[in-house]
Amino acid sequence: MKRLVIVCLVLALGAIGSANAAPAGGRVTVLCSPNVEWCDLLKAQFPKATGMQLDFVRLSSGEALARLRAEKANPIFDVWFGGTGDPHFVANEEGLSEFYKPKAWDDLRGEFRDAVGGKYIPLYIGILGWAVNGRLLREKNLPEPKTWEEMADPRYKGLIAYPNPNTSGTGYTMVATMVQVYGEPKAFDILKRMHKNVAEYTRAGAAPGVLAGRGEVAVGVTFVHDAVLQILSGFPVTYGSARDGTGYEIGGLSLIKNAPNRTNGMAFIDWALSPAAQVLAEEAKSYQIPSNSKTPVPKVAPRFQDFNVIKYNFVKYGTASVRDALVNRWTKEIFPLPK
Amino acid sequence: MAGTAVVTARPLSRINATLVGWGAVTLLGALLLPWARTGRDLGVFAPQTTGFDLFSRDWMLGVAVVCAAIAGAVGTVPLPLFARGRLALAAGVIGTITAAWSISARGAPMGPGAFITILGLLALIGIGLALGGYLRADAFIGVCIVWAAAFVMIFILYPLWAVLQASVFVKGRFTLDVVRETIQSPSFLLINNPGTPEDEWHMALVAGAIVTVVVAVAVFALTRRVRPTVLWTLGAAVGGTSLIALYLGFGAVRNSVMLALVVSVVSTGLGFLFAVLAERSRLPIRRLFGPVSILPIITPPFVLGLAIIYLLGRRGFITYQLLGLSTTVFFGPLGVALAQILAYTPIAFLILQGVVQALNVSLEEAAETLGANRWHILRTVVWPLARPGIANAFLLVAIESLADFGNPIVVGGGKPYLATEVFFSLIGRYNPNEAAVFGVALLMMTLALFVVQNRWIGKASYVTVTGKPGQGLTRPLPRALDLGGTGVFVLWVLVIVVLYGSVAVGSVTKLWGFDNTFTLAHLKGLSPTGWAVFRTTAVLSAVAAIPSTAVGFLIGYLVTRVTFPGRDMLEFSSMLSFATPGTVMGIGYILAFNQGPLLLTGTTFVIVLAFVFRNMPVALRAGVASIYQIDRSLEEASTMLRAGSSTTLRRVVLPLVRAAVLAGLVFSFVRAMTAISQVIFLITPQTNLATTQILSYVNYGTVGLAAALSWVLVVFMALVNVALYQITRRLGVRQTAEMLKP
Repeated sequence: MKRLVIVCLVLALGAIGSANAAPAGGRVTVLCSPNVEWCDLLKAQFPKATGMQLDFVRLSSGEALARLRAEKANPIFDVWFGGTGDPHFVANEEGLSEFYKPKAWDDLRGEFRDAVGGKYIPLYIGILGWAVNGRLLREKNLPEPKTWEEMADPRYKGLIAYPNPNTSGTGYTMVATMVQVYGEPKAFDILKRMHKNVAEYTRAGAAPGVLAGRGEVAVGVTFVHDAVLQILSGFPVTYGSARDGTGYEIGGLSLIKNAPNRTNGMAFIDWALSPAAQVLAEEAKSYQIPSNSKTPVPKVAPRFQDFNVIKYNFVKYGTASVRDALVNRWTKEIFPLPK
Repeated sequence: MAGTAVVTARPLSRINATLVGWGAVTLLGALLLPWARTGRDLGVFAPQTTGFDLFSRDWMLGVAVVCAAIAGAVGTVPLPLFARGRLALAAGVIGTITAAWSISARGAPMGPGAFITILGLLALIGIGLALGGYLRADAFIGVCIVWAAAFVMIFILYPLWAVLQASVFVKGRFTLDVVRETIQSPSFLLINNPGTPEDEWHMALVAGAIVTVVVAVAVFALTRRVRPTVLWTLGAAVGGTSLIALYLGFGAVRNSVMLALVVSVVSTGLGFLFAVLAERSRLPIRRLFGPVSILPIITPPFVLGLAIIYLLGRRGFITYQLLGLSTTVFFGPLGVALAQILAYTPIAFLILQGVVQALNVSLEEAAETLGANRWHILRTVVWPLARPGIANAFLLVAIESLADFGNPIVVGGGKPYLATEVFFSLIGRYNPNEAAVFGVALLMMTLALFVVQNRWIGKASYVTVTGKPGQGLTRPLPRALDLGGTGVFVLWVLVIVVLYGSVAVGSVTKLWGFDNTFTLAHLKGLSPTGWAVFRTTAVLSAVAAIPSTAVGFLIGYLVTRVTFPGRDMLEFSSMLSFATPGTVMGIGYILAFNQGPLLLTGTTFVIVLAFVFRNMPVALRAGVASIYQIDRSLEEASTMLRAGSSTTLRRVVLPLVRAAVLAGLVFSFVRAMTAISQVIFLITPQTNLATTQILSYVNYGTVGLAAALSWVLVVFMALVNVALYQITRRLGVRQTAEMLKP
């Protein structure tokens, strides 16, 4: 009996150990933050382009940062692909990632290159807005809100959803945008009044769009490309944004410090920024604007010119101390308020 | 001539093969195999780190190797048994200490050489203990005890210790700041809300006082005795005020505790009703109890939550399309409560079914002959006897509810719950120390409940007076109760069918709730990722089920049959996995196994380990229960015929508990397939698990895929359970509640 147990254990150990063996052509391990279809496409196409194997774990940007922090002593990931920019900032600040200047650096759109100042590589740009369920609004006889402040109107009680800034980069971008548009005191005052209208603080950034699509809420604050996805999937929503100033994200791409496969990671970054790789986003139903100016922009992607985009200060609002202060303030002053 | 037995001194023992064998294995492993790995990869070793290479440089390693050699040599030298044992013990202890020291000083991840050395030295300790007479058992048992103790310490106690440590040690310094900040945070518990004009504490005290007065008056009026009045008044004062304060408050503690209370009460109540019906009802519907009761075991954790949103959300099928309401009231604690009640009532049912079955019928017959009607019998005979079982079920459901992660994540409405806050503070606020504080708070609650359940109630058995089950047919229930209860059960089955049905429908309709055209696109869309994930999960769960059951049964055998110092500690520590919420164990594993010699995170191996130690208590309980039923004389006979313990176990005990082992294997497998709360922290690029994949699908709104994968899981596990049922029926053993207790 004991022998049987030992034999089984040894076999199991062997089977698992062999599963971990490195393949011949080299491999790269990617921490992938966008939707899982995009990650799957990367996994399928990267070997065709370079002959190396790609493995990924899909974690949203907040979770990814936490994982990198936990594994700082012994990173298993080589590259962090995608996700909102602020956590990439923090990663750079904390020494979890290093800045690598890719071969395609000069092809990247100038404004975004400069905005993230050598901290990480811009991968895509997404505009903050909201998904609107017109049917529900008509039922309640309400107009679509035009500014952040209008969303605090008591008529919208229970009809709004936005992501929790603790877990979602989208949620944090919204709070930081409002602070830059209205100033911190007024922004928090608006958020307090908006609290009664919020049906749910979602965990993921794309979730409010899903809720609006299902008709659970009328206005779900999310990135506009996520709203576009809902529209193309057949849900009865449209998208909008704040006319008095809305924010945007510069999705990040970072090389992890002390990566186990550093050169392969750099090869991956160079490939990921090429037009051939960036068009995979559209195939994966991700409609952000790609950062490489040579990549064709998807027809359905929201255009910068159509929105009143503020000059978002990425360096300031990406700093860990500023971010933590804002998120903590939100958690203490907004979250526990009664509905 | 009478055969006078002269006790001649036995010739000083021949070679002790066990000692020599283990000594040799340890020596060879230590010298020939590498002691360090370069990184996480279990198969990649650091060069030049075999024992031979390090022997001269690292004196501790040298000492350890020498000790192994000595212990082996002791087996060859002719010495009395006791002396051998003690020498081996001493050598083993010194060797283990120095080897462990050497490994931790080196700091590199442990390689096979180190692993074999430590295992071998521990085995030598076990053999030494046995030979030296400290255990009154043979070498096999000795080795098992020492190994079991070591594994339990490293894989159950050490991670919990890491969590405790992380809550008060920030970056190496001891500080209570994090504890203080977390406890004062609104996410934890907030009674007096600065955002509201009223003073919640004030309100709670006033309301509590009113309740206390009412209860005192009522109890006194009913019993007219001082002692119960005082007890009830005290209970009402403390309990009532706290409950009201919690109700008015905000925060994870508030939500989790209120949820646990409500769910436990309702689940236990329903479970008791169904148990009584299942055992005593004369209506044919009672045959459904069996199959329905295992449904939650085979369901992935948030499938019910998902179905609830789709049926009961603002645009839900039932609330909107059938009833015309437009409400999100089910987003939040109410929805979670519903999902938990649906999930945990069957567990309460299984526990209470055992209790009701064991009731002594002759007591009820006696009451009936004395003229009591059926209601009176229920109230004065059945209820008091079943009370400890009910309390038992209540506590177990409360523990499960507190630890539940999947339902609050999906239906929780974004509100804080203890299990989810552990996750969010690590993942969202990037703060392992805060996560540890939440984890410790949650752990203290579940541990307290577990200790109460284990010590106070678990041991008391009120159900039979003579120890033998009574003869006679069971008495029928009062007609009204029978019909009413069956009505409730039918409603219950309906709800379950509708919920599971909606998941099935969702997997084959284009857009669940919007576009109901039939499509196989979701099932097709599961490839390749979905199927690959499913396969990985099934393989890992199967691989983990074997050691899980083996270790569980082994420890069960040890604590039932062998008396050794520390036995209770071993049993309690092994059962700790029951009491520890998955999220707490998850961060424990991350904190404990993320650096140093025990670097294991990022490998598939750690996921298998997590499964093994999470599910071990199931096999342990099943093992204890079934081994109790075996008469010791069988094993004694085997021992007298000079069989060692391993032979006795293999050839006498194992065949008798075959069915329980099989059931244990299957339940470990099933529990591993539906695990999420612990493994969500441990998934790696090579191993994504089905449950986390479903969660990803849900979060991204691709609900069709989530429903499809969930359905695949449910069907697969239903098949596995049906197979088990057939096999155990053939082996003639009834499934007991032990195996299905979470």
